Amino acid sequence: MLRIIRLFLVAAFALASLGVPVAQVGAAGDTIVFGSAVSLTGSLTKEGHLTQEGYDFWKDYVNAHGGLKVGGKSYKVDIKYYDDESKPNNASQLAERLIDQDHVDFLLGPYGSGTAFTVAGIAERKKMPMVEGNGAAEKIFSQGYRYTFGVLSPAKKYLQRVLEMAVLQKPRPQTLAISASSDAFSLEVQDGAVAWAKDHGLNVVYANKYPDGATDVSSVISAIKAAKPDIILNAGHLQDAILVNKGLKEQNVIAKLYGYSVGPDTPDFVSTLGKDAEDIVGGAQWSEAVTYQGVPGFYRTAKEYADAFDKQFHHRPDYHNAESTAACLAFQSALEKAGSLDKEKVRDALAGLDMITFFGLIKFDSRGLNVFKPMVVNQIENGKLVTVWPAAIAKAKVKYPARPWSAR
Amino acid sequence: MTGKRWVFISTLAIMGLLLFVPSFHNDYINLTFRNILMYAAMSYGWNLIGGYTGYVSFGNVAFFGIGAYCSAVLSKTGVDNVFADVGLALVVCALFAIVVGLPILRLRGHYFGIATLGVALGLTDLANNLDFVGGSGGLNLKQADQAHFYLYYYAMWAVTLVCMLATFFIARSKLGYAFVAIRENEEAAQVLGISPTRYKVIAWALGGMMGGAAGAVFAPANGFVDPGTAFAVDNNVFPIAMAILGGMGTASGPFIGALLLSGVNEILQEKFLWLHSLFFGAIIVLIVVFLPRGLMYLVGLRGGVRRWLSDLRAFRV
Amino acid sequence: MQLFLQNLVNGILSGGILALVALGFSLVYGIMNIINLAHGAYIMLGAYLAWQLFTSFHVDPMLSVPLAFVVLFAFGYVVQRTVINRVVRAPVLATFLLTFALSLVFVTIALFIWTGDTRGVQTSYAGANFTLAGVTVPWAKLLTLVVALVITGLLYLWLHRSKTGRAIRATSMDVGAAQMVGVRVAHVYGITYGLGAGLAGAAGALLTLSYPLTPTMGDPFLIKGFVVCVLGGLGSVEGALVGGLVYGIISSFATQFDVTILGQHLSGTGLQDVVALIVLLLVLIVRPRGLVGRATA
Repeated sequence: MLRIIRLFLVAAFALASLGVPVAQVGAAGDTIVFGSAVSLTGSLTKEGHLTQEGYDFWKDYVNAHGGLKVGGKSYKVDIKYYDDESKPNNASQLAERLIDQDHVDFLLGPYGSGTAFTVAGIAERKKMPMVEGNGAAEKIFSQGYRYTFGVLSPAKKYLQRVLEMAVLQKPRPQTLAISASSDAFSLEVQDGAVAWAKDHGLNVVYANKYPDGATDVSSVISAIKAAKPDIILNAGHLQDAILVNKGLKEQNVIAKLYGYSVGPDTPDFVSTLGKDAEDIVGGAQWSEAVTYQGVPGFYRTAKEYADAFDKQFHHRPDYHNAESTAACLAFQSALEKAGSLDKEKVRDALAGLDMITFFGLIKFDSRGLNVFKPMVVNQIENGKLVTVWPAAIAKAKVKYPARPWSAR
Repeated sequence: MTGKRWVFISTLAIMGLLLFVPSFHNDYINLTFRNILMYAAMSYGWNLIGGYTGYVSFGNVAFFGIGAYCSAVLSKTGVDNVFADVGLALVVCALFAIVVGLPILRLRGHYFGIATLGVALGLTDLANNLDFVGGSGGLNLKQADQAHFYLYYYAMWAVTLVCMLATFFIARSKLGYAFVAIRENEEAAQVLGISPTRYKVIAWALGGMMGGAAGAVFAPANGFVDPGTAFAVDNNVFPIAMAILGGMGTASGPFIGALLLSGVNEILQEKFLWLHSLFFGAIIVLIVVFLPRGLMYLVGLRGGVRRWLSDLRAFRV
Repeated sequence: MQLFLQNLVNGILSGGILALVALGFSLVYGIMNIINLAHGAYIMLGAYLAWQLFTSFHVDPMLSVPLAFVVLFAFGYVVQRTVINRVVRAPVLATFLLTFALSLVFVTIALFIWTGDTRGVQTSYAGANFTLAGVTVPWAKLLTLVVALVITGLLYLWLHRSKTGRAIRATSMDVGAAQMVGVRVAHVYGITYGLGAGLAGAAGALLTLSYPLTPTMGDPFLIKGFVVCVLGGLGSVEGALVGGLVYGIISSFATQFDVTILGQHLSGTGLQDVVALIVLLLVLIVRPRGLVGRATA
């Protein structure tokens, strides 16, 4: 008897754990629901939060200003989030959940190229339009996907801009060393920089990579030091930028210019490195210095956006915030143009977008990637990020050559 | 029939029910159960070497990854057939297990575990650096359309069923007795004429083939493979956790563990946006403290609550 | 030649950190047969403690090291006595899973308290270095190595000379016999695990000099620590040190090679860990007890 009861216990455990969630967050009559799997825990927590802030800022604005006007009707906006724990494998399941279980209307992209790539595949199969602003790797857009759009500039441009600025400085730098983390995004950044360097007469004296998530890059630093480059670049994310910078100081490596992707433009870079972050440059998707005059319907200039953002979130927005908001703006415009919630019409409207926003020009090439918006270059001066390139919007001249470590 | 036999039959019954999952026409439900089946298959693979033979492997994700890459490479050469994928994966994993297993299965206990971890880590880095398998960018396979999406579900289902039945019959065969003998007392087994190395390699190879088959079906279903996806830490830890929670060294344990852990994870994800890890960890802590031998321990336990408590006291210090 | 020396020094210095990380892990694994997957979380907690003290009270991380040790020791002792001791005699995988789950809990709590922002400690001497014979040596990493050596030495002496240390070693050899001669096993286990956690905390505090802090920072160190322990020999204090140095040196030199086999380009810097792992496997095959491991449990 007892045996049978125990058996049932075990079976019940098993069946109960099948726990298929039946709650469905369908699109109610008056609300457009966007779905997004972002990294709220795991190694990309901070970046995931910045992305979420960018989305929420837009949502709050729209809801406070009469909602989205689509086909003569006003809709409120809601965003359903899940945490992908910074793992692309989770993201695919969460994307399916958003689409099939929660019945969201549209998808907003995750943070990170790896995750964005995974979700893009699912968006394609389910014919669900997705706009993302945080995955710059071109491989996302070389699959022939029709339903994914990226408002940000491609990965290979991150450090190209830095080099464009560098070769115009005096004395003109001759040699370049560039290290990269072994992930898809960083390698594309590295390839883009190396290709540009070769086309413009810069001698690449070192171009190598280290394992993703490495804890020790001292050998890479030693090799860079031995190559005596004028410019040192690193293609990676925040953590590696910090590690590389610390390593360069520890081994007393002197160069005329230090440029990293992603790192310098994230607020934690300066707060973590203090004085050692001075004079470092980074390629950025956006900065407050840009002078675009956006179309009506949202904050039209970078300053207006930044001030309002600061008021709500108590910190100035960085480019991760801005690119996330821009992704939402793309949807806003496409929905108004399409005049309906029909996914095909919205997709077509997205494909044909051509609008200036506080973030820059939002327009997609045939692959869905925004190759039309230029990047900017920021430099860290006195603990603050200052735009130094392009010259037309630069708030200050770039400090070149970089000061020796002890003088900062 | 013993309680364990009943549980196994119930497990098969649940598998029968799972055949009807595609009828929901809901890709999310489909994907969720496909993942459960995948983890169950991987867990069965681990169970053979870890549960029955007593050689804990911390690197069985290597087989899953190899299987996934087999499919990816085949797709690269134009072959997109799930039978071919699984077939190749089985062969490659078996060979890998034999070649790598012969030297490292001579190691006892912890050392074997670490060696397998080393193998798995090494493969990850290697995949990241070999252009042949796409480096860190990985390889894309033919994107699954809706019809194939269901096909891959059934393929995974079939793989898991085979793993389940294979485990059941192996456990009751001479092979199974050899495994358990090695686990209980390797020297005694040797004296009795069971060659430990030979049977350990067989156990690892069979288990590896299970993991490899799961990976081979996963890859085309997922549409792409890269080192992070194939050799993910979760793919290493979860199958072990599922086998432990369900009951190591049993034919139903891995499946029950897979259902339980996945179910709990799903519910927590739904309820808690980012605190879910905390509760997930807390729940596992509670389960391990009160059921250190897994759920199957409850089956066939004579003596009720009193026996349970006294067993718990025996684990304490 | 200079590059060779620089790589050697780099390897030794990075090995020092690994040795310190591996020390606590090895102790717990070797003596109590517990694979402490929460070790990474303790490292992280020690680091955040040092960061908090630095940020709020301007305490230099070097001074925080003993404090981190004490706090994490107490924490580890409590965790062992209340939770882990309940299953310490169950199959080893129970504790494996348990510590894995505990690490999830600790990391999420840390995430809640300190958020996911990356933090750092910028001391006045951060990045300071000196050059000897053409080789640049960073002070922070050198200090970490020295501390690692000192702690290893102290720990060795304590384990072999002090009463509690001998009790710990006795318990690892034969629990029943130890109990018979009056060793309070639960308490000894608590102390051992507390030691492991304390050492991890100390390592974490030292790490703040060279690494940025995030709630998940412990993970890569945990894995490397695992490998290093076994390379040197489980449960052996000297083993952790030797293993760490060997691993560091090998992966440092591995970055120098650059070959093309069968049309596939293999770069040393990307594969530095693979080379070290291959060495680990070879060592295990030839010397299953690790480089300096002994024939005890």
